[in-house]
Amino acid sequence: MGIKKFINDVKESLGLNSFKKSGKKKSIKVLLANLEERKEEIEKQLAKKSTKALKEELSIIKMQIKKGEKLLTKLEDENGSEKSSKTLGKKSKN
Amino acid sequence: MPTIFIVLGYGFWVSPDFKEISAGVAIFLFGMLSLEEGFRAFSGGMLEKILKRSTDKLYKSIGFGILTTTIMQSSSLVSVLTISFLGAGLIGLAQGIGIIFGANIGTTTGAWLVAGLGLKVKISAYAMPMLVFGVILIFQKAKSLRGIGYVLAGLGFLFLGIHYMKEGFEAFKATIDLSAFAVEGLKGLFIFTGIGIFATVVMQSSHATLVLIITALAAGQITYENALALAIGANVGTTITAILGSLSSNIDGKRLAGAHLIFNVVTGLIAIIFIGQFMSSVEYISAAVGIAEDDYTLKLAVFHTIFNFVGVIVMIPFIGKLVEFLENRFGYEKGSEKDMHDKVNFLNDSVLELPATALAAIKRETEHLYDNAFEIMAHGLNLKRSNILSDKELDSVIADPYSQEPIDMDKFYQYKIKGIYGEIIDFSTKAQSRMSPEYIEELYKIKLSNRDIVEAIKGTKHLQKNLVKYTNSSNSYIKDEYDGIKKGLADLLRTIDTIRNTQRYDKVMTLITKIKLHAEEYDIIANGKLDELIRQNKITNEMATSLMNDSTYAYEISQKLIEMVQILFIKGDDVTMSLNDALMIDDDELEELLKEKKG
Repeated sequence: MGIKKFINDVKESLGLNSFKKSGKKKSIKVLLANLEERKEEIEKQLAKKSTKALKEELSIIKMQIKKGEKLLTKLEDENGSEKSSKTLGKKSKN
Repeated sequence: MPTIFIVLGYGFWVSPDFKEISAGVAIFLFGMLSLEEGFRAFSGGMLEKILKRSTDKLYKSIGFGILTTTIMQSSSLVSVLTISFLGAGLIGLAQGIGIIFGANIGTTTGAWLVAGLGLKVKISAYAMPMLVFGVILIFQKAKSLRGIGYVLAGLGFLFLGIHYMKEGFEAFKATIDLSAFAVEGLKGLFIFTGIGIFATVVMQSSHATLVLIITALAAGQITYENALALAIGANVGTTITAILGSLSSNIDGKRLAGAHLIFNVVTGLIAIIFIGQFMSSVEYISAAVGIAEDDYTLKLAVFHTIFNFVGVIVMIPFIGKLVEFLENRFGYEKGSEKDMHDKVNFLNDSVLELPATALAAIKRETEHLYDNAFEIMAHGLNLKRSNILSDKELDSVIADPYSQEPIDMDKFYQYKIKGIYGEIIDFSTKAQSRMSPEYIEELYKIKLSNRDIVEAIKGTKHLQKNLVKYTNSSNSYIKDEYDGIKKGLADLLRTIDTIRNTQRYDKVMTLITKIKLHAEEYDIIANGKLDELIRQNKITNEMATSLMNDSTYAYEISQKLIEMVQILFIKGDDVTMSLNDALMIDDDELEELLKEKKG
């Protein structure tokens, strides 16, 4: 067995790849929560007084939330498909 | 040097035993060099990472000093590494002092090893296999194996050196009795402290002096009291190594060497003044831990440990004051016309062998370069730096000029950029040859950011002439346009400063998108502004050409600085940073935002 294959097998059996992904998901979730918080703040401020700078910041934040959510869904999909392929692999062995 | 050679030569001629002792010292010192070489092989990256996490509190940095010196058995190596870390800005002076304090305690383990193990076990029996295995490993290609080889060979030579010193003193005893030269009382204390200082300065190692003292003491060639004085002297003498090392280093290195000297001299003085009390404490502790009444070598180890511990405890409350004193004593030279050429603050050849530290140093120096660039660009735009960094409305910022006359940007460039930029590139080239591909990739980005900074300054220089001309123009249309450029660049510099001082990644993302969006607005051809001004005869053809060129310069300055910001100032945890490219707004999305803004 090659050293690379051995490392990959160990990583797979310990679930280290999905651990890395769950770390990424957690980071994106924290980021999205912060962006949502700021979005609400700006919306409140805009309700009182509308300025060009605030409007600009709001549209940037909305775009970033959209982008973050897309990335989160992608990571969740990848995780889901990995899990299902593992289950299928186990079933076919049985 | 010639005197030392003559004295040694005469000594060798007169006494073969003296030759054996000297050879022991030489082999011991060679072992230390080999050991240092071995640990250097492991210091590329790993040591720096541990350091970052383990020196944020004073007790941690003292602990780090104790541990590393105990493992490496060389306070000199720890001092040199600390100076490198300090020079590169990885740690602060207070933490550096903490490590040095710790190293002083760590070095006492050497005395225990020699007194407890080295003299009781036939140490040379271990030396030979270590040397053989070590040398075989030194010839291997893998860096880590070579490192282990140097460490093993180093330990082998240390043990062999101790063996020869021991043998030499045993044989020496039969011919000359050095203890006949023992001096008692306070006079003896001062004389032997002086000898300890001298011996350590000559050998450049307190460790070697201490081993020599212990072996001489074990052979009964010196009295216990004189050995204590020699140990105090060795502690003071060892600071000379740090001072010599700091001569070629930057201000931080000099400050740390100063701290080392003050600490060891104060500790030495305390030991001399309270020698009686220290000796009683040694007796008490020795009895408590079961050290035999006549085992003076172990008692010397106890004494060495106690007085270094006491020194650290006494000095801890004064670390703040010590830092303040050293910062005032060794300050960055500023002000005079002669010294207007700014110099590098963080680049030091001693960090070249430590890739992660060298990279950190280059990054810090690039930030220094940006600080200077910020000053030049602000003044080139005829703006006050304090105004840019304040909360003032941008209209008031541009209404308050820096000077009535345009500044000489070329002169500023020569004084504050050219030299530093050149040194960064030169240092990077030297550092690169010792770096792994991963570090080289990072270094390449930092080099690009340096170029971006320089290009941004050059762009500002191109802008300056027309900016002065048209912001004072009687034509309000062209004046408005140039005021807009000035305001835009002031906003950019202000936003960069906010990004630099922000720890929150979400805020950084938003601000970077904002400056990217604003940069796009300089495209006055695409947004139809130029056409409108020309069509309605609001500006002349000459003004139109200038405006078109200068908008391009403003756009390029913004682009260069945005690139630089994304390399130098984005902070976040490892996971977030790995997602940075995926999370940042791309060109299509930027276009979408622009359309939304216009619409």
